Amino acid sequence: MFKRFLDISLIAGILLGSGCVVLTLLGNPVNSGICLSCFLENLAGAMQLHGHVRMSYLRPELIGFILGSFVMALYSKRFRVTGGSSPVIRFFLGLFIIVGCSVFIGCPIKMIQRLASGDLTAVAALLGLVFGVWLGVRYIRAGVHLDRDRDLPRINGYVFPLFAILLLLFLFLRPSFIVFGQTGPAAMHAPVWASLAISFVIGIAAQRSGLCITGGLRNLFLVGETTLFKGVVAALFSAFVIAYLTGQFHLGLYGQPASHMEHGWTFLAMTLVGLASVIIDGCPFRQIIKAGQGDVDAAITCFGMLIGAALVIGWSIRSTSAGTTFAGRVAVLLGLMVCLAVVLFYRNPVKVPRRTRGQARIKGAVGSSQ
Amino acid sequence: MDWFYKLNVALLIAIGVIVLSMIVQHEMNQSRTVAAQEDSSAALKRKYEQQMAKNAWLYKKVLVLEKKGKLNEAMEELHKILAEHPSDAYGFVLEARLLYRQGHLADAIHFYRKAIEMDPDYVDRKTPLYIGDEIMKVISNSRAKLHRERKLKPGDPKIKAAIDDIYYLQRRIAGGCE
Repeated sequence: MFKRFLDISLIAGILLGSGCVVLTLLGNPVNSGICLSCFLENLAGAMQLHGHVRMSYLRPELIGFILGSFVMALYSKRFRVTGGSSPVIRFFLGLFIIVGCSVFIGCPIKMIQRLASGDLTAVAALLGLVFGVWLGVRYIRAGVHLDRDRDLPRINGYVFPLFAILLLLFLFLRPSFIVFGQTGPAAMHAPVWASLAISFVIGIAAQRSGLCITGGLRNLFLVGETTLFKGVVAALFSAFVIAYLTGQFHLGLYGQPASHMEHGWTFLAMTLVGLASVIIDGCPFRQIIKAGQGDVDAAITCFGMLIGAALVIGWSIRSTSAGTTFAGRVAVLLGLMVCLAVVLFYRNPVKVPRRTRGQARIKGAVGSSQ
Repeated sequence: MDWFYKLNVALLIAIGVIVLSMIVQHEMNQSRTVAAQEDSSAALKRKYEQQMAKNAWLYKKVLVLEKKGKLNEAMEELHKILAEHPSDAYGFVLEARLLYRQGHLADAIHFYRKAIEMDPDYVDRKTPLYIGDEIMKVISNSRAKLHRERKLKPGDPKIKAAIDDIYYLQRRIAGGCE
């Protein structure tokens, strides 16, 4: 009974939620213990893909996630190298996911941490994400799915973990071409070894469980399956408990760190994140984990996210405490347009014999509740 | 195993050895890199010291007048300096302080915001420029009064902007990745 209750998804959720708050306590920016979009923006800065030094740091957490996933996949013989499913589409959807995250100021994991810390501005983000995933589920039911992946030569799967090892070398050797900002968010970080250890363990658990914020919601809406959703709830609950016990819980709408009051744009931005994540099968965190376990399509999505992270800083798409920017608002709408275009092109309605056509139309129709 | 395969494996190993030796050589020079990093931390510390010394020198007259309580004269002097150095964030910090002491709460808060937008180091706890506590004190002393004024004059855009500025300042001082 106890073993059944404590399944790996719950454990992964608890590790993720508590890891967020613990990393904040150890030095990561407030409410940003783990944030894939922020970390990718930092990485892009460290690699000089943008010039904002205050946002330039090679976050060890990214390396830990990838290597944790890689090691676990090898150990459990789940390292399966696949790819070839609409790579360019995935690249651009990855890019637009980061656009959505940057307009909200945070990825779905940071959204959970912000909610758990009492930031009520994240409620609009939660609603937007849920709506985006719900919309994505409607499209899946209407027959929208990217084309099937296929097995690829094994070397393809090693590229992303090798990229992580290269970043690890850069982190310790600190070559001159890698920028480590000394003020602002770049200077706010937990000790390297603590970040690596915590993220490595989370990477292992996430690979084993398949934990995914949008995946949990998708499975719930699509088939009523709650395993991953329980992990998401566990992440929220554990983050809340630790934030409350350590005095990091500040309930309120105003004065929350790295937030803004443009809730309509927050809603739309996270709708974009939810919808795009359902189309490419996974939130930013899941994409990183999948890339570590040999999924080449996810690796391509991650590189799209990295480029997106550079662009949101360089083109002033990212929101600030002052609110959203014009470029950010336009980019979110463009992202939604891209998602809708993808949906239109990839709709593959079920072909059924004439005599059962009426029935099939109900099943396959957009907006069907089945 | 044919010759093609053998040749490729040999090349792979050779290049691997070369790269490894380059990394080892680089590692041996690590002490120099660490020294360079220490230099950059020291350079940053020096930069802030220089900035603070420059501020003390440039605004000496203003600071003296402010200390004596001659706020109007201090403000006049400050405006002369700001006309010559319009992008100096510290000037706006001083303007905010003077306005606050004169009782112009909304304007004071606006100039704190302006200073922070120009130089975010003023709300970065890791820099010696940090004035977050000072701003929070001003905010907590002003908030109730501004909310009262908003109730009295609901359409006043200046008060609305001041309350927006307060929320902005609170968000910035709270931290986060910005």
